[in-house]
Amino acid sequence: MKHSRMLKAAFAVILLTGCLIAGAAGMGSMKVQEAYEIAVIAKSTESAFWKTVFAGANAAGTEYNVKLTVQGPDTEEDYEAQNDMIRQAVESGADAIVFSAVDFNANASAVDEAVQNGVEVVVIDSDVNSDAVSCRISTDNYAAGRMAGEAALSCAEETLYVGIVNFDEKTANGQQRELGFREVVEQDPRVKFIETINVLSTTEDARRGMIQLLEEHPEINVVATFNEWTSLGVGWAIRDLDLKEQTTVVAFDSNVVSVGMLETGEVDALIVQNPYAMGYLGIETAYQLLSGKKPGNARVDTETTLVTRENMFSEDCQKILFTFD
Amino acid sequence: MNKKERVREKKRRISSSAVMIMLVVGITAIAMGVGLAAFLAVYSRAARQNAVISSDHAVVQASNIMHNFTEDIGEGLRLVEGIFSRNSQSRDADMNALVSVRTDVVAVMSYDPATGELDEMWSGRQRVKESPLVNLSYGEEIAEKVKDGDRIFISNPHVESLLADYYPWVVSVCKLVKTAEGEERVLVMDTRFSQIAGYVDDVGIGHHGYCFIMDEAGNIIYHPQQQLIFSGLKEEKTKELAQKEDGSFTQGEMIYTILTLPDSGWRIVGISFVDEMVYDRMASVAALIITLLLAVLAITFVSSLVLSRVISRPMKGLAKAMEAFEKDASGFTYYPIKGTSEVEALSDSFGHMVVQIQELMTKVRNEEISLRKTELRALQAQINPHFLYNTLDSIAWMCEESRTKEAVEMVNALARLFRISISKGHELIPIEKEVEHARSYLMIQNFRYKNQFRYSFEVDEECLPYYCNKITLQPIIENAIYHGLNRMIDEGLIRIRIYMEEDAVIFTVEDNGVGMSAEQCRSILNREPGDNTGIGIKNVNDRIRIYFGEQYGLKIESEQDVGTKVIITMPKVKEEIHEA
Repeated sequence: MKHSRMLKAAFAVILLTGCLIAGAAGMGSMKVQEAYEIAVIAKSTESAFWKTVFAGANAAGTEYNVKLTVQGPDTEEDYEAQNDMIRQAVESGADAIVFSAVDFNANASAVDEAVQNGVEVVVIDSDVNSDAVSCRISTDNYAAGRMAGEAALSCAEETLYVGIVNFDEKTANGQQRELGFREVVEQDPRVKFIETINVLSTTEDARRGMIQLLEEHPEINVVATFNEWTSLGVGWAIRDLDLKEQTTVVAFDSNVVSVGMLETGEVDALIVQNPYAMGYLGIETAYQLLSGKKPGNARVDTETTLVTRENMFSEDCQKILFTFD
Repeated sequence: MNKKERVREKKRRISSSAVMIMLVVGITAIAMGVGLAAFLAVYSRAARQNAVISSDHAVVQASNIMHNFTEDIGEGLRLVEGIFSRNSQSRDADMNALVSVRTDVVAVMSYDPATGELDEMWSGRQRVKESPLVNLSYGEEIAEKVKDGDRIFISNPHVESLLADYYPWVVSVCKLVKTAEGEERVLVMDTRFSQIAGYVDDVGIGHHGYCFIMDEAGNIIYHPQQQLIFSGLKEEKTKELAQKEDGSFTQGEMIYTILTLPDSGWRIVGISFVDEMVYDRMASVAALIITLLLAVLAITFVSSLVLSRVISRPMKGLAKAMEAFEKDASGFTYYPIKGTSEVEALSDSFGHMVVQIQELMTKVRNEEISLRKTELRALQAQINPHFLYNTLDSIAWMCEESRTKEAVEMVNALARLFRISISKGHELIPIEKEVEHARSYLMIQNFRYKNQFRYSFEVDEECLPYYCNKITLQPIIENAIYHGLNRMIDEGLIRIRIYMEEDAVIFTVEDNGVGMSAEQCRSILNREPGDNTGIGIKNVNDRIRIYFGEQYGLKIESEQDVGTKVIITMPKVKEEIHEA
């Protein structure tokens, strides 16, 4: 009996010291809690759109004390490079990936694999064909397409010949934007035809594509295009051919050049997405997922704004169009 | 140890050292808890005050930055004004050079306040648009503001709208000046606003606190997270804040500090978070203190455990030893208890006491025994003169009547009686001798009483070799004759039996005399020696008990007019082992 009491006492002491040490260690670890590592894998690192996305991501990264790595392929068609980046991110121990897919289908398996390895994947901007994605944050591309369509139809011409310069067929958001656009435009009896040309997502290719399309269908007087690079290409083509008076151009996203074109008339309307919000929300959502919170919605639509020559210098549009460098 | 005792034992255990530990630890815990609460309360108030003060500091810092910024702008404008009012060849070149060199100056222009038309414009290397869509740098509103006098007016930030493919955020600094020719012109200098942004961004309050600038109406001039606000991800309650006076106030978990800048009317708002400024710090401090307190508690616990081990444990041992000693004093052996010096001193004292008490007890017992023996021997040495006279008288009378044979028998019986009485001083004699003694006595008495009674012996032969106290039967027989038969008319009968019962030898002396009351029975056991042999029944009983213990001795059963039976119980003793 005496023995067991002594044992009990010794046990209690050991337990108490254990608790203390654990508590102290817990406190210590609380202080130096490992920052989550989140890899942002974009479609490009060059465009103003993506730079703004990264700015938003960095803002959230600073706010939530997250370690960010930002990368993207050299061209916006290189899904292989993106898949490699996903694998590398998983290998280097990223906790989450904020991803924008170059190719809706070809990126799917790499994303699935990453999720199987315990990495949370949040998609921003361009979707990927995978059920493993925890949350999708992007422009409602279909609605943005419809907005572009309505902007195109606001021109006064009596007959409309519509040309579309779209980027890679395999990218989901481009296709959805075109779908939304076509649905609105096809309704209008003034529209005689809608011709699409698919180009690479570069200014130069888009310019050549635009010129080619205009050579094939010189009667085209409404042009729609769906991302930053193709917008610039189309603008340059219009400027080259000096067609700005005759042609209504509805373009996507903003940078200094396309805003300039909007002011000078090569471009007549810009559908401006909210890349800053995408970047910010992408990181925020990833962080919440990692800290065990389920996001309210599996899909978050960020705003789009229609900017025309008339409202481009309004206070709100200034804030949207021009970044505070 | 039976179950009940064990339960009691356990209860007592809990109530000694455990209570001590619990008390010490409990009191420590309560004291420390109260101390901690008091400390945290004081600390919390201090931390809140600190939070407000640091918020104030941050806002003042931001206002200093803004002040420097406006000073710089004023400086810049003076420079520009100097060049503008010059009437020289190099005026345009100088102005363009200034705009190019000073990175914060984006463009300089002059307007005719009467028409509001752009008069001159210098933009350094940047190309001016041929037909700007709008002019955000100058308008009627500005013309209105600057028209009376010297004052510099600084517009809200806007995008530069006059330059081709160049859209920096600027503030327009305007002033009414005179040209060299004496004409009135509004001089507008567009100054890059992003510089201020960097400074304001750097003014942090804690980890997440920040400052922003708004105008009097609550429009945000600059916010470190203005992209978030522009993107609709964040909101500031600027309309509400615009109503507030300068100063600090706490709303919910936020501390707001507002300061209005004297030269522009802009207001700087500092926002910090109570939880971060106060609770986070408090949490870490509290955690540290609690760790310390826990450590102290643990130490207290361990030390009281050790104390109890060192003090109460040996005390308990001591108490237990005392209890055991109390129960069985003579059979107790004491083992010293280890502990602190005090406990060991106690233990040693107790040890000495035990030895002394035990020695005393043995001494007392021995003394008692020897006292009894001396008393006995003294008694035995006494020969009751009456008995001797009467007997000698009888013998003389027999001799006179020439009944020599009877006289010889009487003399022999008397001799035997005395010989056995003395028995070389031994207390214990074989039962055989005791029986002979009793026979001799009865024989003598029977002569003297002229056969008034009869007697019989029924002795188990096996009993004879065992020992018994000498002169055991005689006082009882004497009592039977004098008190039982003497007063009888009928013939008396005395029956003596000796037999064995288990480990004991039983002697019984029965008579058919007048018997005794219960009172008499009791008093007879206390009676002092009678007048015959000088040895009373009490003495017999006492001797047996002294020699063999309390369970042995004498018992009297008596019924009036029927008779008396005295039963003596003695152990089976082979030799005189008990004689000291």
